[in-house]
Amino acid sequence: MADGKLFRFLAAIRRPSVRYSLLSILIVGFFGGILFWGGFHTIVEATNTETFCIGCHEMRDNVYPEYKKTIHYRNRTGVRATCPDCHVPKEWGPKMIRKIQASGELWGKLVGSIDTREKFTAKRLRMAESEWARMKANDSRECRNCHGFDSMDIEKQKLRGAKLHKIGLEEKKTCIDCHKGIAHTKPLGMKEDDD
Amino acid sequence: MKVAIVSTAVAGALFALGSHAAIAAPDWSKVPKREIHVFHTGVTPIEWMTKKSMHSGSAGMRKGEACAGCHEEKGALNFNFKRLADKELEPVGAPKTMSFPVGVQAAYDKDNVYIRLSFKAPADSATAALREDMDPKHEVKAAIMFIAGKVPDGDKIGCWATCHTDARSMPAAKPDKKKYVAAANLGGEIYTDYIQWKSGAGGKGAAQFDGHVAETRVDKDGKALVKAEGENKGGMVTVTFTRKLAGGAGDVTLAEGKTVPFGIAIHTDRTVARFHHVSLDYKLGIGADGDIKASKL
Repeated sequence: MADGKLFRFLAAIRRPSVRYSLLSILIVGFFGGILFWGGFHTIVEATNTETFCIGCHEMRDNVYPEYKKTIHYRNRTGVRATCPDCHVPKEWGPKMIRKIQASGELWGKLVGSIDTREKFTAKRLRMAESEWARMKANDSRECRNCHGFDSMDIEKQKLRGAKLHKIGLEEKKTCIDCHKGIAHTKPLGMKEDDD
Repeated sequence: MKVAIVSTAVAGALFALGSHAAIAAPDWSKVPKREIHVFHTGVTPIEWMTKKSMHSGSAGMRKGEACAGCHEEKGALNFNFKRLADKELEPVGAPKTMSFPVGVQAAYDKDNVYIRLSFKAPADSATAALREDMDPKHEVKAAIMFIAGKVPDGDKIGCWATCHTDARSMPAAKPDKKKYVAAANLGGEIYTDYIQWKSGAGGKGAAQFDGHVAETRVDKDGKALVKAEGENKGGMVTVTFTRKLAGGAGDVTLAEGKTVPFGIAIHTDRTVARFHHVSLDYKLGIGADGDIKASKL
């Protein structure tokens, strides 16, 4: 019975229209596509804002206050890197993959896996390690949206940064190898191998 | 007999005069002065310094970089003092003055090295910082630590060779555990040697110490320190050490042409233990190149 309905539906959408002109169908399809794509894009981008990220108390009360004390939040140049700048890829493909992965966090929200400070603290190291591994695997791609050795004038840096960046270049390090904790407090119990 | 007595007396007087002349203070106005900045370190012992997850500069240390090689810049320190004062690294409370300059001068003759430290002592340590609990409650203390030749990386880490996470006043450390050098060997030049002046209080009760740090800190037994004199005029402190070039066990031997790593530690506001301001690693050249080059008298 169900097979019969499916067959009839497939047959109906494959049959040429005798009621609507091709132009009408193209116009409706064109604008429908714009509406669908625009709506989809709008929803994706709405989830790609700091406001959305701190909409839940898990982020607002734990990592956000730490980030507000860092140079990525306030600095002399007035340039700010917000949550998605570091945690969501800019390119469409990687962004969609990350969004699909992040949908798993909805389940965490539903079951309250980090809904108290204690639960958050207990899981913090594992969550941080997961994000560090993602950044390491993509050669700190999100950092490199703004920073790059090619555009870095090491000689203009403070001595300690300059020396360490030279070592980083020699040893082909990636940003996250050294800059863990640049926007959030480092979790307790970090493995030395992680650095 | 009478002649002999007179001769002995004259010889004694001449000897005393000679001795006095030998340790006569240099004319400090003619000895070059260099400023070395001391700073409040918070809880950053050598274990912290060498831990990658805590100190990204440990990558530089593994490449043979000295602390001062990265952190002294244009005659000042380039630390993130905000981080050093934060509760993460200073759970007890940081002083308002995180860093201050110490004028350092040095000179030497055939017997002694003379080192003068001059600085304005801040009195704004955190209320909860550990303080002297016995009289005299020394207002200010100034120490110089020389690093013996075979302390691993001693010429790069300076006093941090003795600073450990389990030493007293560190969080959760035992109160009787003093500073120490890992795998210390007094005969094998794995130790540090220190001399210290303590001010006393109200101009009274000043004291001097000549000790070393090996398996533990020993604040006596040194045979090199001749005298440590100091004065505190309204917070402006001047301390002059007169130290023999060579002493005994636990005294790093200084000699013309030799360069010795050293560090400075200043306690102000009656603080004790780790609540001091310390310098990075520097080199004292006895008639040789160094961060501080001792003038020959």
